[in-house]
Amino acid sequence: MARTRSTKPAATGKTASTDKTATTTSASSLYTLPDPPTNPPKLFILPKSATPEARIITLQNPRYSKPTRYLVCPSTGFYEFTKVTTPSPSANPRSWLLTPPTLSPESSSTTIQSPDLFLATPFDPLFLLLPALSTPGQRMFLSPDDHLDALPNPDRHLSEILTWEPTRKLIEQRMAVICDTVEAGDETMYRLNEQKLLSEITSKAKKMAEFLSQSMDEKFVRKALEAPVMGIKSAQAPPTEESKEGTPASGTTATTDSQSTLVSSKDSQLSTASTAITTPDSEVEIISSAIVASPQVISLQRLRVYFNFICSSYISPSISSTLKTLFSSANDFKPLDEYLDQLTKLKQEAAASRSNDFAGKRTRDEEDDEKAEKKRKMEAEEKVKKANQSRGVKKLAKVNTTGMKKMSEFFKKKV
Amino acid sequence: MLEAKLPEAAEFKKVIDAIKDLVQDCNFDCNDSGVALQAMDNSHVALVAMLLKADSFDPFRCDRNIALGVNLTSLTKVLRAAQNDDVLTIRAEDAPDVLNLVFESKTADRISEYDLKLMDIDQEHLGIPETDYAATVTMPSAEFRRITTDLIAMSESVTIDVSKDAVKFSATGDIGNGSVNLRASTDVEKPEKSITIELTEPVALTFSLKYLVNFCKAASLSQTVKIALSVEVPLLVEFGLSGGSYLRFYLAPKIGDDE
Repeated sequence: MARTRSTKPAATGKTASTDKTATTTSASSLYTLPDPPTNPPKLFILPKSATPEARIITLQNPRYSKPTRYLVCPSTGFYEFTKVTTPSPSANPRSWLLTPPTLSPESSSTTIQSPDLFLATPFDPLFLLLPALSTPGQRMFLSPDDHLDALPNPDRHLSEILTWEPTRKLIEQRMAVICDTVEAGDETMYRLNEQKLLSEITSKAKKMAEFLSQSMDEKFVRKALEAPVMGIKSAQAPPTEESKEGTPASGTTATTDSQSTLVSSKDSQLSTASTAITTPDSEVEIISSAIVASPQVISLQRLRVYFNFICSSYISPSISSTLKTLFSSANDFKPLDEYLDQLTKLKQEAAASRSNDFAGKRTRDEEDDEKAEKKRKMEAEEKVKKANQSRGVKKLAKVNTTGMKKMSEFFKKKV
Repeated sequence: MLEAKLPEAAEFKKVIDAIKDLVQDCNFDCNDSGVALQAMDNSHVALVAMLLKADSFDPFRCDRNIALGVNLTSLTKVLRAAQNDDVLTIRAEDAPDVLNLVFESKTADRISEYDLKLMDIDQEHLGIPETDYAATVTMPSAEFRRITTDLIAMSESVTIDVSKDAVKFSATGDIGNGSVNLRASTDVEKPEKSITIELTEPVALTFSLKYLVNFCKAASLSQTVKIALSVEVPLLVEFGLSGGSYLRFYLAPKIGDDE
């Protein structure tokens, strides 16, 4: 049993050492079973590219304006930490066991109580600069130093990293991407250009759309576009086909009629959201979505979702609201909005037809019954309790016990 | 399996009667040394601890530790069916649902048998350490009962002031104030009427009279009562029972505001 248990964490250790460098924070002692250390070790996965000069520092989070930890490396730039955690740790208690790739008697392994994992991922320092660049009111061309002075500087970590020449250069580069610049003498002055910022963020969102995994795409983009599934008799199948053809901008919609009974959404290139299952002779019921999102709608939705994600995780609310207005005027979301309107209507219809259902009603009734039953039971119990109370107990309930300590303060609990 | 026989039901009846006015439900913890009970009142400022030693029963048999969760009001109802001089037998299985009580009349051939449903009671158990009290007063229990019932007419609380040769109970209320002073005395003919005071240092503490009156329901159990006090410790009121068994009450002193 012990062997099987050790294999999995060992594998984790291997991936960490081949892909990335795994380190634990401090060299706190191993096997400290009695009194847990005040600063227990945590598991970090740091990028291999980060040099030993990299430091974990505290900077103001641009979105939430509170101090947050970042990893800064003079040669490869900024990284943010993402905490990977188990849902409800009290219900699923877990820990890390770290061992070297090969177990030998003299090799030492470490256990880490907290099941959390901190993953350092590249981070654009541009976001850190935004709070300073986007001051309300008249914006002036200012030198980088003046801009950076406006940034909160918790623990003076920011001023420390600004003394690193490569980091400073990187920050100025990123600043230049979103700012108008003027040369004043031998110094360059910067002023935020919102259009530049918008195009930068939009390109980030587009990149996200390109590289994010299928499952993320499925969950965050397509889910919102899914139409309610309706059972349609085979006799009505042809009209549905027509109506699909008729949806706006879906000229190329293909309903994948395959000989096999199952069509997975991955296989169909275009109508991914539709889950059309047809039997060869199509005699039985066809289950299909009422409307299908066109690729154009999907890509628009994707862009909007990712843009909103960036805004809501990295950009302060005030700037993101201006950005969002600029964003919607810069892109044409008409097909998407039309599709979403249609979708809400369909959903309402589906919900209405369902609420008329006898079954739906019954469950609600049952719920009410259960609640009432519980209440009755509680009341009955209370009554029995009251009835079983002696006169003495009732009298003592009225005694003023101010200034009297509880017995548990005098006598210790027995285990 | 628990089987315990008491030659007279009277004592057990009185014990339960005294406790039922302080707590509602409690566990009887039975093991081979006897039947023990520990419970706090609803406000958790008073505690009752009872021990009926195995010697008090004849015979006594308890193979395994059993906790009998009992509603004391219900138990009182059942015990009302027992005559004071009946032979009382209590029985329970190892994992019991019910407590079986049998009352046998000594004179007539009458046997009554009752099953009392048990309940699961989640109770915390407190460890009560041996304490060297600053003052210990032993006096007739009837005297103590009288003092508490008299003084509750004046106030809700009483101050017990123990000095080397006397103990003073005083109460101050809206209508006036009153006090009872008892001097240490020895009654050679009736030792139970003696008042003895053991003192290491004088103590004066205030207690809720309603609780003390409540404790005095047990006064009929024993001719004498032992009252032990120390600062920062609950008051101990102990009624000795036959065979080294006891019924003890603890009460937190009132500290601070004098209301």
